[in-house]
Amino acid sequence: MDNPIEAKGLTRVFGDLVAVNSINLSINEGEVFGFLGPNGAGKSTAVRMLTTLLKPSGGSAKVAGYDVASEASMVRKKIGVALQDAAIDPLMTGNELLKLQAVLHGITRQDAKIRCPELLERVGLTAAGDKRVGTYSGGMRRRLDLALSLVHRPKVLFLDEPTTGLDPTSRVALWEEVRTLNKEIGTTVFLTTQYLEEADQLAQRIAIIDNGQIVREGSPAALKSDVGAPTLRVDVVDSDFEIAKQVMTELGEERPARKGRIAIGLTGGTRAITVVLKALEDQNIEVQHVELDEPSLDDVFADATGRRLEGGGDT
Amino acid sequence: MTSLSSYWSNQWLITAAITKRGLLRMRRLPSLLIPSIIMPIFFVIAFSGSFSSVVQLDGYDTNKAVNWMAAWAILQGSAFSGLGGGGLTATDLENGFFDRLRAAPITPASLIAGLVGYSITRATLPTTAVLIVSFGVLDADMPGGILGFVIAYFTAIAIAAVMSLFVLGIVFKMKTLKSLAVAQVVMFSMMFLSVGQAPLEAIEGWLYHVAKYNPITHVIRMGRQGFLGDVTWAGTQPGLISIALLMAGAGIWARGCYRKVDI
Repeated sequence: MDNPIEAKGLTRVFGDLVAVNSINLSINEGEVFGFLGPNGAGKSTAVRMLTTLLKPSGGSAKVAGYDVASEASMVRKKIGVALQDAAIDPLMTGNELLKLQAVLHGITRQDAKIRCPELLERVGLTAAGDKRVGTYSGGMRRRLDLALSLVHRPKVLFLDEPTTGLDPTSRVALWEEVRTLNKEIGTTVFLTTQYLEEADQLAQRIAIIDNGQIVREGSPAALKSDVGAPTLRVDVVDSDFEIAKQVMTELGEERPARKGRIAIGLTGGTRAITVVLKALEDQNIEVQHVELDEPSLDDVFADATGRRLEGGGDT
Repeated sequence: MTSLSSYWSNQWLITAAITKRGLLRMRRLPSLLIPSIIMPIFFVIAFSGSFSSVVQLDGYDTNKAVNWMAAWAILQGSAFSGLGGGGLTATDLENGFFDRLRAAPITPASLIAGLVGYSITRATLPTTAVLIVSFGVLDADMPGGILGFVIAYFTAIAIAAVMSLFVLGIVFKMKTLKSLAVAQVVMFSMMFLSVGQAPLEAIEGWLYHVAKYNPITHVIRMGRQGFLGDVTWAGTQPGLISIALLMAGAGIWARGCYRKVDI
């Protein structure tokens, strides 16, 4: 069976601008796939092509087994879409919007009567269901948007920057909802984000996009380990400094550290930390402070592009 | 066969749901209605009073200015109501709601029909308001009887549908609320360059030629005939043909422009 999302050489050009440049994607059934990149990288353009809202200039893509260009209607039946900015009519109530969405997806009135309250309950909006969306907070709008995208029980769910502009509490609540959906229903989720933490927390696999091209792809752990070993930093009493340095540099490559601190690349990953501490203890060295610094997705992004995603500066 | 009838039944439900959404918005935002109801009432009152003696000229075929102006005001109000679907779509395009509709498995025809449905339902309100004022306050006549009212409503709905399709095309092309200003200029030019205010006999120069061949002229004559005399097939047929041609042209225009939405 085809993967729920497959793209080959998918390209979109606007005049002279190549917004998405020949990207290839293969996303597995039941996977949460993170599409990470800065503003203007091409994330939303890619999503709009995969959700049939924008015609590709080149290449091809299949979603839920159907071609996005020639079988757009079939694709739309199988996908749920929550686009950026939670575009919801502020004059309508949550209930009215869910019912409208149900009709648009060909759900019978009887089924909609059962499903709409269920979805409102799932996203914690039962009490607000009859209130106009204009009175909702940003977090409530996003949750309603998520509920709207689930009315027809889609095989594939596209979430385009679902937490942009949300406060930390609402963000975490939405992450939890996406996790639950993926675990309980097995929905394949294609998530675009510019937040490293979001991709790290939610996605089983990530593609990093920059200037319309995918520059890295893999699981967060694999991508981070590809950048290099985690850094172990140890503070010891001054009298033990030299001997501690000697012990540690025998176990890993020395890394820059502030005065009075020893830092090494922890070859063998985080599990090697016990080996280092045991070696120091064997030499009767008193350890005052231990710090382990794993490479972040920002390091991965920097390694791939020469720029930082967070802070936006050059490396 | 069953799946085909289920398909059409589903498309009909989608069209009805989109119309219903428009009407719901109108109920929650009554200010949307003010221009399309107040303007035609103002027209019929002001023009019937100011031009009360103009009906003595040849071609008016009535002795009361209100009989002439009521039909004109109804069609102005209906044309303005035709902006409704376009206005709703322009708002949806600007705030992104239109993407939600496009991402659903619905046909463009169902979506456009739903928006036209909203516009024509809106058009019945100014039509009714003008008729109430014309007959209740301005002492209008309807020598065409019930058929005169039927043809007046039919013409109002048809004009609203044509204008709605035409405006939707402009909105799909421009994707902004500003497109409504462009649409109004073209729409009202078509209305005013017809026999809306004066019969052909009273129009001179280039305006005469434009009004003579403007299809809206036939449509207005069709809608007005009950106010001036009997409703006849001869008075209805050119209007029906014009409406059919205008609907076909505006429908092709709207559908063609819909394809440009994603560019």
